[in-house]
Amino acid sequence: MSLRLSRFLIGLAIGLALGLGYAWLLQPVTYVDTAPDSLRQDYRTDYILMVAEAYQAEGDLSQALFRLASLGPEPPLVIVTGAIDFAQANEFTTDDTRALTELAADLRAIPATPQTND
Amino acid sequence: MNRAGLGPLLLGILAGVSAGLLYGWVVQPIRVVDTSPASLRVDFQDEYVALIAVAHAATGDLPRALARLALLPAVGSEDHIAALAQARLADGRPSAEVQALAALAAELGSAHPSSTIGPSPTTRPATPQASPTLTTTRPRPTPIPTATPGAPFRLSERLLVCDDPAPLPRLQVVVLDSAGEGVPNVLVRVIWDTGQDQFFTGLKPELGIGFGDFSIEPDTEYTVQLSESDAIATGIRSETCTESSGANHIGSWRLTFVQPEAP
Repeated sequence: MSLRLSRFLIGLAIGLALGLGYAWLLQPVTYVDTAPDSLRQDYRTDYILMVAEAYQAEGDLSQALFRLASLGPEPPLVIVTGAIDFAQANEFTTDDTRALTELAADLRAIPATPQTND
Repeated sequence: MNRAGLGPLLLGILAGVSAGLLYGWVVQPIRVVDTSPASLRVDFQDEYVALIAVAHAATGDLPRALARLALLPAVGSEDHIAALAQARLADGRPSAEVQALAALAAELGSAHPSSTIGPSPTTRPATPQASPTLTTTRPRPTPIPTATPGAPFRLSERLLVCDDPAPLPRLQVVVLDSAGEGVPNVLVRVIWDTGQDQFFTGLKPELGIGFGDFSIEPDTEYTVQLSESDAIATGIRSETCTESSGANHIGSWRLTFVQPEAP
């Protein structure tokens, strides 16, 4: 290996080390200004539970859909079903689980969007 | 090392840093996951608080609302929630949401002497890591006096206040029930020649849960009306107060509305 190539490789290694050292030690990533779709599963489930509690009182499914939309592009029923799974796995109260399942049931009753034939 | 040898080394460093940045920003950019509510953007945090308030209005579970608010130290204070209620009222958001925020702020004010909500040691949101307390039955809502829709409030007192500590002259509205207790969540409309505005009582619980206020301008005549009631005060204009030193300043008005006792 030529001397020039070995110096280049040494420089490359130093450069990578500097880049990673800066990124991981001097200026590590801090999470700010995140969106609700990045919430940890337990917080996410609690968010969905709040939507379900509000829906129980308000009975406004469109408002519930609006609130669930901030949790990402997944279908609302999938979002709520995921929360139910988490709630059951972690022994949420009967009231909490009921609120979630009632919301899921009403979401399931929404007619599917008609398919269009182009 | 001579200058000819330094070139490849610097070139290597440059290539290494570039490769690192390319990898970190393009090939494998950071995907933010598993964040907490405190890291949400401020407008999302406000939405979160509104949802906490609506859920609290639905369940009446104050310990759980407190635990949820503790996750949002930047926006979970009673003052911020009261301000958020006012802002959302001005934005024309659903009245149920505004009232839920106002009720939560009022309840926090009566539950906590200080305006900052701290983490609750025993109750947290419904997370498995959180708390066994939440696996128990829900506590019943703390009773808060509320106005009966259409309640026949009447204007009981109209007083010029010359020693108001507020920096600007204002309309102070106090709404009391027949027992003399403050009534929160009463929508108050203020109308003047060129506009109107509205606010809720109870958003400044440190001044009383039946209290609400509104800054007034000189040379403008205001009419104040309680929503869902016929009670009205007209012809309210800023007036000058003369201090003992002879100096003049604009005073505030205090309007007290009272619900008469049932016959």
